[in-house]
Amino acid sequence: MAVDVPETVTTALADQQVEGRVCLEAGAGVGNTTAGLLAAGAKRVYAVTNDADHAATVRDRVDDKNADRVAVIEADLRATPLATDSVDLVTAHGLCNVLPPTELDAIAAELTRIAKPDSRLVVDDYAVPPADAAVNRLFALENAAARVVDGRPALTFYPPAVLAAVFADHHWTVERRKALLDPVPWTEAHLDAHAEVVRAYAAALPDSLGEPLTAMADDLVAAIGSERTGTMYSLAFRLADM
Amino acid sequence: METRALGDTGQESTVLTFGSIALNWLEQEGANQLIELVLDHGVNHFDVAPTYGDAELKLGPKLRQYRDDIFLGCKTQEREYEGAARKIDRSLDRLGIDTIDLYQIHGLEYEDELDTITADGGALDAIREAKAAGKIDHIGLTSHGNPKLILDAIDRIDDLETVMFPLNPVVAGKDGDEYDYEAVLERCDAEGIGTLGIKAFAKGSWPSTDELPEADRPYANWYEPVDTPEAIRERFDFAAAQGLDTVVSPGDPKLVAMVLDAASRSEGMDEARQRTVIEEARHDDSPVPEQLHH
Ligand SMILES: C[S@@+](CC[C@H](N)C(=O)[O-])C[C@H]1O[C@@H](n2cnc3c(N)ncnc32)[C@H](O)[C@@H]1O
Repeated sequence: MAVDVPETVTTALADQQVEGRVCLEAGAGVGNTTAGLLAAGAKRVYAVTNDADHAATVRDRVDDKNADRVAVIEADLRATPLATDSVDLVTAHGLCNVLPPTELDAIAAELTRIAKPDSRLVVDDYAVPPADAAVNRLFALENAAARVVDGRPALTFYPPAVLAAVFADHHWTVERRKALLDPVPWTEAHLDAHAEVVRAYAAALPDSLGEPLTAMADDLVAAIGSERTGTMYSLAFRLADM
Repeated sequence: METRALGDTGQESTVLTFGSIALNWLEQEGANQLIELVLDHGVNHFDVAPTYGDAELKLGPKLRQYRDDIFLGCKTQEREYEGAARKIDRSLDRLGIDTIDLYQIHGLEYEDELDTITADGGALDAIREAKAAGKIDHIGLTSHGNPKLILDAIDRIDDLETVMFPLNPVVAGKDGDEYDYEAVLERCDAEGIGTLGIKAFAKGSWPSTDELPEADRPYANWYEPVDTPEAIRERFDFAAAQGLDTVVSPGDPKLVAMVLDAASRSEGMDEARQRTVIEEARHDDSPVPEQLHH
């Protein structure tokens, strides 16, 4: 299916050498960045996700004519089957916000292992939303449900300086920073998707706990509707040539 | 109001062009008032067509009163010499003026139409003849759904000076070649061709006539427009930020005052916000399910 590549992805990749490069898309999600990398002429894209549904969505989304340039890999980003020093460009678009702080370092280490010396890394993510943002209430509910079911948060928003520091520990230096979205449009579709996450967690709980969680999510979505708030940023790094 | 060079025509057009189809829905007195309001805001570029009901006739009196202050674009859907020659004279007559500043081939959609207008005995022969006779000053083209055809027309019509096409956040967010007006903007910029944007205020198609009969639509536009001051400002700022020389106002007179206000007070739109607007539009009709992210 032909789906448009979001402006966020095209903008983040616009100043990167993608054509002819071997790329690792870390946290492939629905395949937005995979599609962007292919459109920009990547030689090969390894699209890694630990979610079987996402892997299927990405495979579905890739045109037949591009199929030989993509390998969708179901793996944990802390330990992938990819070879050391095998990719030129790593992308992590909207990945870090779904990672709890405890996983960040291990993933940064693994991405660094796979990246060739002098590689580039593009990290796109959300800044911490303003304290008065209404969406915070939905995200907090999502995190509460996730903690109860999984023992870990669903979402963590990292300031750009924090991610820069995490990757600096692995010899990546920031080459440029830009605003992808300012403000971020949290549309009804986005909020519904977040409410759906709450519903999925609620389904794993006894009704006495799950039902009120679902009701709260529905109420919040109805109350918020949509909101423009916060920013989405892009950091481009270069790996030290050691 | 800000003005921009309309390509290499020598005309400095206001960043808002008045789509005079809005006059069609008003009585003469109301039409006169609307034109006065538009001129009060400094707008100096008007666009009209013979297919817009009585718009040419209703524009006539005030156009003649303020002839020197108005750069007038008109159009023809004729593709052959005879028809185009007749339409030029008819429009001059209905408008009651001697010269149309910009005369545009209207709504070009198919390659074979491009063949017809450029062939011997095609509409362009009539337009060039009228230009030589001083009945028109500049030659333009409008196309509503085919950027590739516009590029071909630029290749094939050496004296083409302006093009008019749709541009809004929904169109800008789509990737297919059939939405690639960015290529048109780049090409026009490189070649000194003026650009006019339409459908900047389109929210979407009208519901089907089963759901909402045509007679029950609240606006006269071809499409359902945005209609709050905030949305209109945003749509205007977005369109003006894409590199268009001028943005054509929507066809319903009820919206014109809001658009004039937006254009007068516009302060531009930075790129991160342009992307916000595109992303929002994209998610409002995205085929990809359950997107948590942008
Ligand atoms: C929000 S999506 C990212 C969006 C995606 N980059 C795009 O462009 O469409 C996050 C993805 O990261 C995956 N993910 C999260 N933690 C992971 C981990 N530890 N190992 C592998 N994949 C992970 C999720 O399953 C999901 O596919």
